[in-house]
Amino acid sequence: MLNTRKRRSLALASVISSLALVLSGCSSSSDSGSASGDDAWFASAAEKLECKGKTIKGVTENTPPGQYVKSDIIPAFEKATGMKVDLETTSWDEMYSKAINDMEAKTGIYDFVYIEQDIIYQYLKNDYLANISKEIANNPDLKAPSFDFAKFTSFINDFKNADGDVFGIPMEAFVKVYLYRTDLFNDPANKEAFKAKYKRDLVPATNYKEYQDIADFFTAYGKDKELWGTTVQAVTGHPASFYELFESILPTNGVYNWGISKNFKASAAAGGSMNSKAAKDAFAFWVGLLKDAPPESKQSTWTEVGTTFAAGRAAQGWVYGENVAWIATDAAKSKVVGKVGVALPPLGNPQVLADSKSGAGYLGYYDGGAFGVPASSKNITCSVLFQQYQGQESVQAKWAAAGSRIVMDSTYNDPIVQAQDEKTNGYYTFMKDQGSLFRGAPAFPFHTSVREVVAPFIYDAIAGKISTSDALDKAAKAADAEMKKLGY
Amino acid sequence: MKKSNTNRLGWILLSPSLFILGVAGLAPFFYVIYVGTHSWNIFSKERGKVFVGVQNYRDLVFDSAFLGTLSRTLFFSFLVVSIELILGFMLALSLMKDFRGKTFFRTVYVLPVVVAPIAVGATWRLMMAQGHGPVPFFLNKFFGWEFNTGASTTQAWIAIVLMDVWHWTPFVTLTLLAGLLAIPREPIEAASVDGANTFQMYRFLIIPMLLPVILITVFIRVMDSLRSMEDVYMLTNGGPGSSTTFVGLHIFRTVFAKQEYGYGSSMSLLVLYFTIVICWLLFNALTGKESKKK
Amino acid sequence: MITNSTHSKSRSFFTSLGRYFLWTILTIFTLGPIYWMFVVSSRSPVQVYDKPNLVITSFYAENYTKVFEDRVVRTYMVNSLIVATTNAALVTTLALFATYALTRWKLKGSDSIFFWTITNRMAPPAAFILPNFLIFTQVVKFGDFMLFDTKIGLILVYCLFNLPFAIWLLKGMLEGIPLELDEAALVDRASRIQVLFKIIVPLAAPGLAITFILTWVFAWNEYILAASLSSSSARTITTRLAEYVTTTGTNYGELAAVAIIATLPAIIFLTFIQKYIVTGLTFGAVKE
Repeated sequence: MLNTRKRRSLALASVISSLALVLSGCSSSSDSGSASGDDAWFASAAEKLECKGKTIKGVTENTPPGQYVKSDIIPAFEKATGMKVDLETTSWDEMYSKAINDMEAKTGIYDFVYIEQDIIYQYLKNDYLANISKEIANNPDLKAPSFDFAKFTSFINDFKNADGDVFGIPMEAFVKVYLYRTDLFNDPANKEAFKAKYKRDLVPATNYKEYQDIADFFTAYGKDKELWGTTVQAVTGHPASFYELFESILPTNGVYNWGISKNFKASAAAGGSMNSKAAKDAFAFWVGLLKDAPPESKQSTWTEVGTTFAAGRAAQGWVYGENVAWIATDAAKSKVVGKVGVALPPLGNPQVLADSKSGAGYLGYYDGGAFGVPASSKNITCSVLFQQYQGQESVQAKWAAAGSRIVMDSTYNDPIVQAQDEKTNGYYTFMKDQGSLFRGAPAFPFHTSVREVVAPFIYDAIAGKISTSDALDKAAKAADAEMKKLGY
Repeated sequence: MKKSNTNRLGWILLSPSLFILGVAGLAPFFYVIYVGTHSWNIFSKERGKVFVGVQNYRDLVFDSAFLGTLSRTLFFSFLVVSIELILGFMLALSLMKDFRGKTFFRTVYVLPVVVAPIAVGATWRLMMAQGHGPVPFFLNKFFGWEFNTGASTTQAWIAIVLMDVWHWTPFVTLTLLAGLLAIPREPIEAASVDGANTFQMYRFLIIPMLLPVILITVFIRVMDSLRSMEDVYMLTNGGPGSSTTFVGLHIFRTVFAKQEYGYGSSMSLLVLYFTIVICWLLFNALTGKESKKK
Repeated sequence: MITNSTHSKSRSFFTSLGRYFLWTILTIFTLGPIYWMFVVSSRSPVQVYDKPNLVITSFYAENYTKVFEDRVVRTYMVNSLIVATTNAALVTTLALFATYALTRWKLKGSDSIFFWTITNRMAPPAAFILPNFLIFTQVVKFGDFMLFDTKIGLILVYCLFNLPFAIWLLKGMLEGIPLELDEAALVDRASRIQVLFKIIVPLAAPGLAITFILTWVFAWNEYILAASLSSSSARTITTRLAEYVTTTGTNYGELAAVAIIATLPAIIFLTFIQKYIVTGLTFGAVKE
């Protein structure tokens, strides 16, 4: 009775498990032997440092660059050194909590973790990471001849401490560009109609008014064609909207570093600029674009913006670099292959361009991440060995092609990358030439806390519950309170 | 009944469960209580735990964002549990009689229960998406209605209630069905012979006998709907604005995004307390009625 | 008489017509989302984001082949199977013992014990992740062995919410089994344990079956604890679903494929166990 029923259920369970095991038996494991790099040196180093046979564990996000590490770089490394690398891929939110829990509790579970550019400051403040520069300097056997800090783009500076020591080896970097539909912009009929109505040429916008006009024009044009004038990353309930506003839009009107001053004040009255007139104007402009944006915009994170664009539903928009490549080249995912172009984002204040060139400001978001080694890791030396392997110049090009990411200056010149560059109408050239005008997240060690108190007001403004002006006033007040509470 | 000299066997049978729940359940619970009396944000300047006594709880009472999520969650829970209970009972009754194809219908009907909440949320989100989701598309095509869960609070609520009803009514139906089937037949037959009509049979016989099962089902649904997070989050992200942000999601954000462990722990305990109170009231209300009848 | 029978015949015709109508609508409503999930899994990303088409015109098999070829996914499936089945069996058995004890003995404080066991399941999980993580990594630690990232760990931690659930579910059902049946057997000199297995279990079989299925399903679908307390060895298939939500795009086609594959074992289980509910019914109907 109990036994028979149980027995049958267990029998069933074992049938299913054996099926699963059989399936695992007849697998065709991809033999990735793209072993490029100084494998001989790494092999001997692994022996000398007694890393051979050891297992190191890492955690990263499940994105194309991360997947490439898993599918190509790690097998090559394992083959060369006899080490085992166990890379866990997780979802975006989860990755942080796992890494942070491990490093805070010093449990030593992970030997390398993905560090997004915006959280490095929090990690450095809490001494979570091992000093890679020092590790290499103190151990001559550990220094790989094929690895050189100087080869990286200036992005690596974001992962250095005040002394210039490196705490993270960049593994991906992108810029969030102004993406537009070359087919729509170059169409003669459109050009004529636009010129007739707005008395200027149909080219990518350089300021807010031009952008608005183009958005209006294409919304009217696309009325029954499932086409709208612009994307807006206006999801309510997810930080993506906060990020587009604070990292891409506000800087173009001269509000840098989230409008928070050097002495940690956000309200204009206290010396910040979060609720300054410039900020309010920029916010109003951005929310005003919603009338020219497809209906899914209020649910669009960076993902949906990318897919909206790829589905041909928008004529222009701010799009993350990691999406640009597949939108422009992958026919299985995109309907606008070969039909997109990149440009500098439209500016609200022309002074911003001069600021960006001089370094006093910036006009858009430079995104990216690195692999760092937790100070609590039990295998720091062996982990640093792996970091150097993935940071070699020779592995960069194929990795760039797989994940449209560039962290080394020389990668731009590689033929594989240049071929992709053509297909994307110059995204990589753009990143190389104009990348310095963009910047990553500001160096705040309280990034997520302030984001969480400010975001609800942004959501409410998008949902139309409060005005954009009120939202920023309340947001600045809340941000100030939060920073005070955290002790800044 | 048996005397207490065989109570030992009773305790022996009960002890493995008590042991697991006690040891494994109490330790984290005490830890959360402990952390709830501190202010702890690992990214604050004062990195460690700072003892604040009951300040967290005082702050919570005035935290309008938290109170908002709490009231929304309670309302949502009340809504979906009532709907599921009524529907579930009617469908369980319908499944008691044999009819052709019953096994097929019943098997299909139970499918939603086995789908992971994440997948449920993702699927419903896809169905409701603008542009490529069938629901807004066909509602617009055939009726000319605008259905945008990202823009309209009412429509977002309709979507999440439908999703929850879709997901959990089969569970309610199954448990009520098992309960109905376990009810002995003779009292019913006897009452029917005595001339009781259908309504009287339900009111005085069937429902009272079914009460324990109804109680358990309501409890479990209330508890789970107060905790639920993944599916609603996948469908609406808590939007538009914060109109579908429920307590589970709010706590999750406080703990993981804001890294406020202390405040989040006290919030969790407060919600736990609320849940216990609600369940206790339900427990008494329903068993009180039963003892009155007797 | 004739009027009565024709009247009742037409009435029952309409009732059964109504019933079939009801159940057909329900079936469409139930299968709708699942069908859509399947449709999405058959489409390439560019097709997923296109105008919705209810008919499957082409099949983009890559969503499935990518999943099947992934050794990691297979490991996750096996992990899920082991964790869910073991946990469900453990929980159902322990709950059977516990509810037998609670309903057949007047144990002191049993009412409050009963209520308290469920509190483990009431709290929103977010704040409990850290203590569980600490226990798994620092408290239960013997040399190099941690409870973190082990299947045993997950099986034990799932007891925390499945065991109370099973106890509550079964208590209601065992309470419905009259004590007189026990008495009768005891008078015949049966031992308590024999009463449990020969009388209670057959009558409670539908309840046991449902408890087993539901605890199995909860363990199988559990996400938050599995995600935070496992790394690569003990990871379950449900955590895999969340991995698809990334910055470069939620690959809904693959997510749907994995979701369908992850749901299949549960569906198979369900179809089998359904039969036992029916068998249990014929036992249960024979009372006295």
